[in-house]
Amino acid sequence: MNLESFLLLALILFSLGLYAVMSRRNMIAILIGIELMLNAASLNFMAFNRFLPVEDPTVGQIFVLFIIGLAAAEVAIALSIILIVYRQRKRIDVDDITELKG
Amino acid sequence: MGGITGLLMALAVAGGLLAVSLKNVLHAIFGLALTLLAVAGLFAVLGSPFVATMQVLIYVGGITVAMVFAVMLSTVVQKHATESPWRRAGAAVVALGFAVGVGMVIAAAGLPDGPAPELVADAWTVRQIGTSLLGDYNVVFEVLSVVLLLAIIGAIVISRHEGEEKQS
Amino acid sequence: MSHANLAVATLLAPLIAFAVALIGFRKKHDIAAAIAILGGFVSLVGSIWLLLDPAPTAELVTAPWFQVGGFKLEFGALLDGRTLLMGAVVGLITFCILIYSLGYMKDDPGKGRFFAFLGLFEWSMLSFAYAPNLLQGFIFWELVGLASFLLIGFWYHKPSAVAAAKKAFIMTRIGDVGMFVGLILLFGDVHTLDILEIGSIFGAPGLPEGLSAGRVELLAGLLFLGVMGKSAQFPLHTWLPDAMEGPTPVSALLHSATMVAAGVFLFARFHELFMDAHGLMTLVLAIAVFTAILSSTMAMVANDMKKILAFSSISQLGFMIMGLAAGSLFAGLFHLMTHALFKALLFMTAGAYIHHYGTNDIVAIGRAGGRKMRVTTLGLFAGGFALAGVPIFAGFWSKEVILGALHHDGYMVFLVGAYIAAFMTAYYTFRMIFLVVLPNANSDAIVEEPAGAQHGDHGHAHHGPDKAPLPMRLPIGLLSIGAVIAGLPFFGDAVAGLLGRPEEAHHAEISEMILPVAIVLAGVALAWLDFGAKRAPQRGLVAWFPPLERTLKNRWYIDAFYRRTVIRLTNAFAGLMYGAETRGFDGAGDAIAHGTMKVGVGTAKSHTGRLPIFIGTAVAILAIVSLSVALF
Repeated sequence: MNLESFLLLALILFSLGLYAVMSRRNMIAILIGIELMLNAASLNFMAFNRFLPVEDPTVGQIFVLFIIGLAAAEVAIALSIILIVYRQRKRIDVDDITELKG
Repeated sequence: MGGITGLLMALAVAGGLLAVSLKNVLHAIFGLALTLLAVAGLFAVLGSPFVATMQVLIYVGGITVAMVFAVMLSTVVQKHATESPWRRAGAAVVALGFAVGVGMVIAAAGLPDGPAPELVADAWTVRQIGTSLLGDYNVVFEVLSVVLLLAIIGAIVISRHEGEEKQS
Repeated sequence: MSHANLAVATLLAPLIAFAVALIGFRKKHDIAAAIAILGGFVSLVGSIWLLLDPAPTAELVTAPWFQVGGFKLEFGALLDGRTLLMGAVVGLITFCILIYSLGYMKDDPGKGRFFAFLGLFEWSMLSFAYAPNLLQGFIFWELVGLASFLLIGFWYHKPSAVAAAKKAFIMTRIGDVGMFVGLILLFGDVHTLDILEIGSIFGAPGLPEGLSAGRVELLAGLLFLGVMGKSAQFPLHTWLPDAMEGPTPVSALLHSATMVAAGVFLFARFHELFMDAHGLMTLVLAIAVFTAILSSTMAMVANDMKKILAFSSISQLGFMIMGLAAGSLFAGLFHLMTHALFKALLFMTAGAYIHHYGTNDIVAIGRAGGRKMRVTTLGLFAGGFALAGVPIFAGFWSKEVILGALHHDGYMVFLVGAYIAAFMTAYYTFRMIFLVVLPNANSDAIVEEPAGAQHGDHGHAHHGPDKAPLPMRLPIGLLSIGAVIAGLPFFGDAVAGLLGRPEEAHHAEISEMILPVAIVLAGVALAWLDFGAKRAPQRGLVAWFPPLERTLKNRWYIDAFYRRTVIRLTNAFAGLMYGAETRGFDGAGDAIAHGTMKVGVGTAKSHTGRLPIFIGTAVAILAIVSLSVALF
């Protein structure tokens, strides 16, 4: 198993996440896609950290830890927003949320 | 080693496919959980059991559960308007295009081939990570804690404020 | 008393009078008048004293104003021949007019303000005349303009007066712009503001070091623009007749010793510089002669007494500039002095008639019995004879010197022009005198002037004995004596000595005087035939040619021409600038703002608010960028 295979796996996961974000209407499903993409990024960090001659091998892991932390924060906020949307509209369809349109 | 890695990779892809394709969001979350676990395994394979543990604890144990709760709180009736095929097709085209494009970049990048170098045992310990976190990266660490705090407060404020508004 | 104290008292008295009268006693008319007259009296005594007791060389009485680096600027007084003469003339005339105004402005509601402004005027004029450096000179030159603006527009409730004040201010400003540029260039060239130094730099034979002939011509030309504006030379002369809208004492002050004389005095002050510009002097002579003739023709048909005097002022200013441009400092300043005396006198007599009969029209004055006002009529004779250049009277001698100066330099064309102007001066002066003194039944054949409707300053006649009030008769009597004797050779020699140009005091031979005297007498005779004789038609020579008369009455249509061309062009230009401002600059700003908003609104349309499309776009762009990076 070389570096390239890990990168390709990450690419697949990322593309799946992208597809989910773009195709799904359920906001939680979109959140799932985002988590997939974040994981792909984490995987890339870990793979580079492992396969390339880095000076301090802790850096990649720390990045991944940060990503996990940020993902937790993001999920907390996103879920609270989703709950508000649900309370107001009784559904969580992303196509309803178009207040930002021009 | 190679077999376990391949299996984990296959599991990750399979979980991802399930997560994006299943209609039922609850099922999709379980697909996601599968991918997250597989990725945690890959982290362990890549020599960092600590990060793998964190992945399992926070992602699978925290985030996924939170999402399940959200699904349960919000979509009481599991009724979803299905996406139009055009929308799926468009998303698929963009995602495929992206995958092909980046894949070509990866192929053309001339990455070093071959197995990973030997692990330097010292560099991968929790002690090393802790020293690094509270040494070189302590500012980032602190900022991250502030971000998390803000996220928690924000989540509470958003949901509670709106709730009160609704009641009044 | 030392000269320094005298000079300070002379300069400051009118300022103090102005400030006290305007601030403290604007409504208490008699106190304001008394303060102004007191100030004027101090200045009169101071300036005359200084004149009679001149120091052998030029004196400087200065106080430092400020210092920038090595450059020091001072305020104060320069006491040499020219300033002493000018200061005395200003002091004398202003004092006479202050006294005269007591009678003329007796019942005016703005009397206090009037006297205060007279103080301001005297202060500005004296400070300009005594100015030791260019900066003080320029400041007070502009203050003279401001004071004349205030006084011409004194009756600010009359739209015509306001318009005239504005016209005077703007026309002189046209010249001042040129002059200011000239002063700056001059300072850049000679690196000093000191007037005496500049005089000595240019006074030396030949051109000053480092200055080409063209440069000197340019400097002189720019400065002469200022002279043209202030002294009402063609083509900037049109403000002066309109300035008659002010009260008559103002006209007397403006057109004898102060406002218009300021231009001539500037010329005299920089006489050394102007003399280095030979080419320009020919042009200046041409302008002066042309102005003198032009304004004389206009005076030949005017019926408004003040307008006649105004036209004659323009033409006499032309004479002064002729004298100066011909190279004789003495000729110009001597005529300035005598002219100040007799022109102030003539305006005062005009004011007395106007005050009494309530009209400016000489025909109406004559028919109402103008000659019954004896002192006034005697003043009219004295002033008129002096203006016409009748021998023995003041104007004769000074004009003789000017003609002599032209003679000497062999400017044949200009000499002939000057003779023509002198002839016409005699003609219109005596026309005025005859119409006032010897009216007959034919006089109403003279038609009204189309431009500038006739209206008395007061609008109503004062009834009572046919004589002017005492405060008006006194200065008329005093100046009458001046108009008779001021030109005598004794005075001429004294003035020439004071100016340091005794050689210019030209004593004409009897044989040389024959031609000028003959010309003056011819003018008088023609006027007699037209207006004086018992059955004279009293229509004037010009009336035989109606188109010519119309043209003259419309002042050669120069005002109309300006309205059509310069003013219209200026307005068009202003409109263009306005358009550029509102539509160009503002419009560009608005267009940018609107454009930004339109772009914003337009692109906002593409914001559907749909997440998939946002992300799809972002990814598509990312893909394109990474592809191009990877492949190329």
